Amino acid sequence: MAAAIEAFDLTRSFGTNVALDGLSFELEPGEVLALLGPNGAGKTTTVRLLNGVLRPDSGTARVLGLDPVTDGEELRRRTGVLTENAGLDDRLTARENLLFVARIRGLRGADGVQRVDELLGRFGMIDRANDKVQGFSTGQRKRLALARALLHDPEVLFLDEPTSGLDPAATRDVIELIGSLATERGRTVVLCTHFLGEAGRLANRMAVLHQGQLHAYGRPDELAAQLWDGLGADLDLGAPADARTLELLGEVDGVQHAEVSAEGVRVRVRDREAMAAVVAMLVGREVPVYGAVPRTPTLEDVYFAIEERFGGGALEATDETTSGG
Amino acid sequence: MASAQTRQRVPVDWTAVRAVVGKDLSAVRRSKAIVLPMLIVPFLMLVVLPLVIGIAARSQSHVDVSRFLSNIPGDLAKPILELPVRQQLIVLVNGYLLAPLFLIVPLMVSAVLAADAFAGEKERKTLETLLHLPLAERDLFIAKLLTAFVPAVLLSWIGFVCFAIVTNTVAWPVMHRVFVPTRLWFVMIFWVAPAVAALGLGVMVRVSARARTSQEANQLGGAVILPLIFLAVGQATGLLLVDIRVAMAIGLVVWLIALALCARGARRFTRDQLAARM
Repeated sequence: MAAAIEAFDLTRSFGTNVALDGLSFELEPGEVLALLGPNGAGKTTTVRLLNGVLRPDSGTARVLGLDPVTDGEELRRRTGVLTENAGLDDRLTARENLLFVARIRGLRGADGVQRVDELLGRFGMIDRANDKVQGFSTGQRKRLALARALLHDPEVLFLDEPTSGLDPAATRDVIELIGSLATERGRTVVLCTHFLGEAGRLANRMAVLHQGQLHAYGRPDELAAQLWDGLGADLDLGAPADARTLELLGEVDGVQHAEVSAEGVRVRVRDREAMAAVVAMLVGREVPVYGAVPRTPTLEDVYFAIEERFGGGALEATDETTSGG
Repeated sequence: MASAQTRQRVPVDWTAVRAVVGKDLSAVRRSKAIVLPMLIVPFLMLVVLPLVIGIAARSQSHVDVSRFLSNIPGDLAKPILELPVRQQLIVLVNGYLLAPLFLIVPLMVSAVLAADAFAGEKERKTLETLLHLPLAERDLFIAKLLTAFVPAVLLSWIGFVCFAIVTNTVAWPVMHRVFVPTRLWFVMIFWVAPAVAALGLGVMVRVSARARTSQEANQLGGAVILPLIFLAVGQATGLLLVDIRVAMAIGLVVWLIALALCARGARRFTRDQLAARM
């Protein structure tokens, strides 16, 4: 299957500031990529390069088989973008903002109005359709901007912080929507976010950018396997573990890491035998063990582990087709 | 090179251009900070001023302006000097001296609208959304030019019709005939005013590339435009009095400067340059 997005050594500077330095990766159709990193990492520059808004200083990209530099108009017909700032004209109504984009995207006349109203309804904004955007909350703006990005049912979606400013119910709805667009409709999604929890729920792949360089790229479980060997578990001790318990755990052969959790202690051990030794030691010292739940590292764990690791060199990519700059 | 050739072959998407112009003008219509100055200044210049001057001239019709006119070199003032003395003041002021001042209307309207259309997108943080749409840079640039140029010219023409009605009405007891538009006015309306609107636009296109807000663009643009226009008006008033050829030549020069500014602005109006400055 042809990749939905391919980037080869994409580099872009603004003056002396290197915003993106040799970014390379591949994303299959229907996959969700979480593009992670602190502010200024190069996430927005990546989206602008992939959608043909910026030109790279060097390197190339193909999105849906099109070169963003030479086939920008054709590409932008097939992509949808939610920018970090909703980018709505405050002086226009909700419906007018969407109708304008619908017209540009070739949805004209009654078809355009019908599609706009359908999306306003889907995002719970139909009763505010004729209100000026000026008085809208951040969440309402975000929903409107999301509706705008989906007007033409794009094949690739670039979403910058899609849930920031949304209330919990709206956040859940948006996450479900993005998930269904990818799994049921085969849409490819590039998700720039600071919310690692939502990224973990949606992303098949994650890319960690830092100061324009790709520190890690791959599936979260594969990256976790690179970061940690052994097994993790949450042990329920009825209360957070005390210093003495942590000390005892450190003496058990095969324990790689132990940290206090709300219910007791979170441990990482070499293998199953080491886990059994941990439980046996605790019980032997009359520390009650109410439960032991195996713990798979989350995307959040992986992200922070990668961030912690850098200072040093780039993580080895999990795919042969990828490399960090 | 290849992309430039491809771009040349693609015809302008006028539906998209109309969509952008319609969106921009709908938004502008609802902004009192933009609409009020655009209506008040033409009203003062083209209705109140000729009315006051007309009434004053009518009541002071015994004032002899022939001495002033005779100081003008050559035969420039001859058409006015040939008129009866009591008609000379009103024809001089409303028929000729107001004509250069009238140019402030297209200049101001085009500059204000261009600042909103170009720098305003940055200020409202709506520019990035536009850049991510399937809209050719050339089509977006044309749309932004039309957003400023068409209303500036239309408002000037509508303002002139009001001016002509007011001037002829107030002067009727003295003139007993319709004397505006003069031939000079026709040149001003259909040749010089659109040129001046284009000049305001051209300056603002250049200025807006650097300004972060429409207010900043207006200030920068005003600093460039106003000294030029006052210099031009001051220098031209005498020459414009009656010489149509001079007015035509001035219009041509303004057109050339405006087109050069717009052409240069168009070359720099690329997604990459716009996005890099966001």
